[in-house]
Amino acid sequence: MHTSVLTVSHLKKDIKKKTIIHDVSFDIKEGEILGFLGPNGSGKTTTLRMIVGLSRPTAGDVEICGYSLKKNFVQAMSQVGCIIEGPDLYGYMSGYKNLELLGSMSQGVTKEDIDSTVKLVGMENRIHDKVDVYSMGMKQRIGLAQALIHKPKLLILDEPTNGLDPQGIHEFREIVKRLARERGLSVLISSHLISEVQLMCDRVSIINKGHIIQNADIKDILATGEAVWTVNEPEKAQQLIKDRFGLETTRAPEGLKALVDMDTLPAINKTLIEAGFEISFVDNKKRTLEDLFLELTEKDKI
Amino acid sequence: MIKLTQNEILKILLKKKLFLILLLLLIFVSLFSYGQQFAYERTVQQFEAETGEMDFDWRVLASQRLEDLESRSDNEFIPEGVRASFDREIQQLSYFIDNDINPITPTAFGFNAEFAEQGIGLFIPLLVVILAADLVSGEFSKKTAKMLLTRAVPRWKILLSKYLALLMMTTLLIFMVAVLSTLVSFLFFGELGAGEPVITGFSVFEGTLVSDSTILISRFQFSVLVYSLVWFVSVIIASITLLVSVAVESSSSAIGILMASIIGGQFLQFFLADWELVKYFFVTNLDLPSYLTGSYQPVEGMNLSFSILTLAAWGGLSLLISFILFNRRDVLV
Ligand SMILES: Nc1ncnc2c1ncn2[C@@H]1O[C@H](COP(=O)(O)OP(=O)(O)O)[C@@H](O)[C@H]1O
Ligand SMILES: [Mg+2]
Repeated sequence: MHTSVLTVSHLKKDIKKKTIIHDVSFDIKEGEILGFLGPNGSGKTTTLRMIVGLSRPTAGDVEICGYSLKKNFVQAMSQVGCIIEGPDLYGYMSGYKNLELLGSMSQGVTKEDIDSTVKLVGMENRIHDKVDVYSMGMKQRIGLAQALIHKPKLLILDEPTNGLDPQGIHEFREIVKRLARERGLSVLISSHLISEVQLMCDRVSIINKGHIIQNADIKDILATGEAVWTVNEPEKAQQLIKDRFGLETTRAPEGLKALVDMDTLPAINKTLIEAGFEISFVDNKKRTLEDLFLELTEKDKI
Repeated sequence: MIKLTQNEILKILLKKKLFLILLLLLIFVSLFSYGQQFAYERTVQQFEAETGEMDFDWRVLASQRLEDLESRSDNEFIPEGVRASFDREIQQLSYFIDNDINPITPTAFGFNAEFAEQGIGLFIPLLVVILAADLVSGEFSKKTAKMLLTRAVPRWKILLSKYLALLMMTTLLIFMVAVLSTLVSFLFFGELGAGEPVITGFSVFEGTLVSDSTILISRFQFSVLVYSLVWFVSVIIASITLLVSVAVESSSSAIGILMASIIGGQFLQFFLADWELVKYFFVTNLDLPSYLTGSYQPVEGMNLSFSILTLAAWGGLSLLISFILFNRRDVLV
């Protein structure tokens, strides 16, 4: 049904004989927003640089809309717009000249395209000022505009809200979400902010120390919670839950604990009661992306 | 490709470097013209004071100089090498006198050629370096390379467009040097001298000047010849600058490296002229116009075609390596 807009397979990168990225793979489907989540220094920017052809992977391949980046650089890149590590534009030119110049490097970018993109990012008023005098927020808008003028299928944003004020962050997110909705644009957005990924993305790839440690749907993560049952005869209950639902539970002072899909919790409770257990207390705690993130990166530390 | 090149020209123009270069040129051309005019007036005054004549005649002055040189050359105690260079000057000067060519009164066309001859070793390469040093390195130090290299254009096309833009701007630069030095010096001297004859085509054969193959051309033709050589040298310097600009991360280190090589090269030539390898260094070969007026051989065994070939090899290799480096480069800014 969905076709892959970006396929990253087994990317590896050595810099100065040190492996910084180990075997990173993920893909993005049409119209999907993928969050690329990881703490500072985990290798997000390094991975994105390889995806947009700025640096050469030591091993692995990148495919954009079916074109291999290595073999068909031009066709592959004509489907991509990106901002890598901050919008560094030509400071001695106006925002408009920057867009004209970068736009002229893609096929078929018209003046109307530029004007409509400028409007989209809300920069009509200051577009003819020099970029040097822009605020960070304005630069980020022009950066976004430059990534959009040639109507790419894939937008790659590297920590795009870094350095923006709360108002700017909110507006920026709204623009990106609208684009994905209205144009069916796929977005790869890297961030070290869990809340940002949770707010904007459909899926998340979590990276730590150059390894992908989880690829998951945000919905699934949010639907999973931690349930606690305080019952008489916990051993028997544990056995029953395992037999009926295939779910491993752990014993804790307050009772049995397990990670469950919130939708199945009522069914488990019903089974326990029907089997004659006395449940004195049931609790469920919604797990956030933050919990998952900390859990995963914690595990890695040990 | 045309669009890409236009973009690169626009970048160079918007950085206002040409304006700085123009200003530098104007200052130096004015200084030198003024200096030459001043020296000439002093010579005339001295001449008039010594001879008591009111009308300055260059022939008298030239003959005086000739006699002076001859007496110095007759001195038994001077070394052979110095005597040889005196003899060359004597031959050249007698040729001017015999053929009624005035080598003393300054003219605009004499000046523009001389300015180029003096500038080609250091000043003009410097201007080219100012123009070209940040062509690629600037995109890295300002981090704009990320924007430039993530468009759907292969890297070699981007570098080629930059090189073409640089060639055009270098050509414009040389044109500006020619026009400015002619115009400004004309304001000082009031003499154009475009039609005056020049002799060229001297060659050195076993230490003596051979004038068999000399030809007479007008000062205008001579200037065109000199500026063609200056243009060639500048294109080579531009290509070498491109290489350095690709190889380093910041514009200031690019300028530093090039300045050091050009100035260091001059020293090398001065102190180590006996060392065979020195003649293959590009800086040693920059002074092409001096071959035209003869009596020039910075290192044993060098001549015009040797220098042109050496420079062409430097330029070609620089370009080749630039493209290879640029294509392979990991952009980590
Ligand atoms: N040019 C470089 N040379 C050496 N190491 C680098 C270089 N760039 C990045 N690294 C290392 O790679 C790791 C990942 O960096 P980066 O991709 O910038 O992380 P992120 O974008 O996730 O914050 C870091 O530990 C950093 O030290
Ligand atoms: Mg980063």
